[in-house]
Amino acid sequence: MKVLILNGGADNPSLDSSIQDLKHKLSDKGVDTGELVLRDMKYSPCIGCFTCWVKTPGLCVFKDDGNVICREVLHSDFLLLASPVKTGYVSALIKNALDRIIPLIHPYLEDIDGEVHHMKRYEKYPVMGLLLEKGGDTDDEDITIISDIFQRAALNLRSRLSFVNLTTKPAEETANEIISN
Amino acid sequence: MKLSVINGSPRGAAGNTEKLLEHFIKGFIETGGNSVEKYYVFRSRPGFDNLKKVYLESEMLLIAFPLYVDAMPGSVKEFFESLEEMKGKRPDLKIMFVIQNGFPETYHNRFVERYCEKLVKRLGCIYTGSICKGGCEGLTVQPPALVEKVFNGFYNAGRSFGETGELNTEIITKLAHPEHLKPENLPQVIPMINNFLWDGMLKHNNAFDKKFDKPFE
Repeated sequence: MKVLILNGGADNPSLDSSIQDLKHKLSDKGVDTGELVLRDMKYSPCIGCFTCWVKTPGLCVFKDDGNVICREVLHSDFLLLASPVKTGYVSALIKNALDRIIPLIHPYLEDIDGEVHHMKRYEKYPVMGLLLEKGGDTDDEDITIISDIFQRAALNLRSRLSFVNLTTKPAEETANEIISN
Repeated sequence: MKLSVINGSPRGAAGNTEKLLEHFIKGFIETGGNSVEKYYVFRSRPGFDNLKKVYLESEMLLIAFPLYVDAMPGSVKEFFESLEEMKGKRPDLKIMFVIQNGFPETYHNRFVERYCEKLVKRLGCIYTGSICKGGCEGLTVQPPALVEKVFNGFYNAGRSFGETGELNTEIITKLAHPEHLKPENLPQVIPMINNFLWDGMLKHNNAFDKKFDKPFE
């Protein structure tokens, strides 16, 4: 099993240390775990040009770290998005990274349980999980809204949302939840 | 009334969001004395200084964006984060949203709509509602009658808002139709979008034979 953690913290020593704890727990259990620290990567926000869907299918117009993110996400079994809750949502670092993985899916639409969603480009996509660090003004409603939006995002990225955990939950439990997928 | 319109589409003035806004604005300014100023999120990155000024000085804000991965585009999230420092500074500011998506159903927008309402509460401003609309990708290649209906809906919503200062529930509910497609319509709508919109663009770009490429495999 291969786990990829996207670290979406800007300057969050406490989130970084939660991620370190989790990585140790996972490697103790023999799980291959990688981490991309998004603040150290260079990638443009998606500009909605659709080059990746209709000009060079599967490839973004930008030749930057967005390609690294795509490759690593595709080749993982579990994708953990680790983010501070900022302005009631995952950080812009995470959101810009997610916007850049649409080359992994196909523009074609299909009927999935009575709703229209995108077709797969590849056979298999990682299961998703969220590890959130609450901010000073984060409340339960924020967490519910984030969870509901990511249920939808997982559906559209042809994945499945396994859990939304807070960094206050013991790393051991999050590690076990990842492994159970 | 003075309305400040912030277009959050990364495609800026060339995108579908802009077209919808044009029709809303056309209706809005029909009431004498109403005026509009337009701004763009993407070209205001990364500091958003002009937009912060707009936030501090406007009477009413309309923030519009296309749905990206079931939420606001990342660049719009950057803008929202930049507003954190202004929490509580504008208790009199009215904020509304236009959220459009490319799927044929409006339902996809209903989740980020809840986020938008909460954002306004978080900033301590007054939420005046959201206009949600699906089916907005490829407005230039859709049958003209369909597009006309969408544009008219935005025009009517703008005109009514310009007269009353409130979004008319009946107009925006009608505009949002269909929330979901009927099971019998799915087999007609899906091939139409795949064949006309996507295949059309793929062929135009000589990329049709590469459409199932898997460059990262």
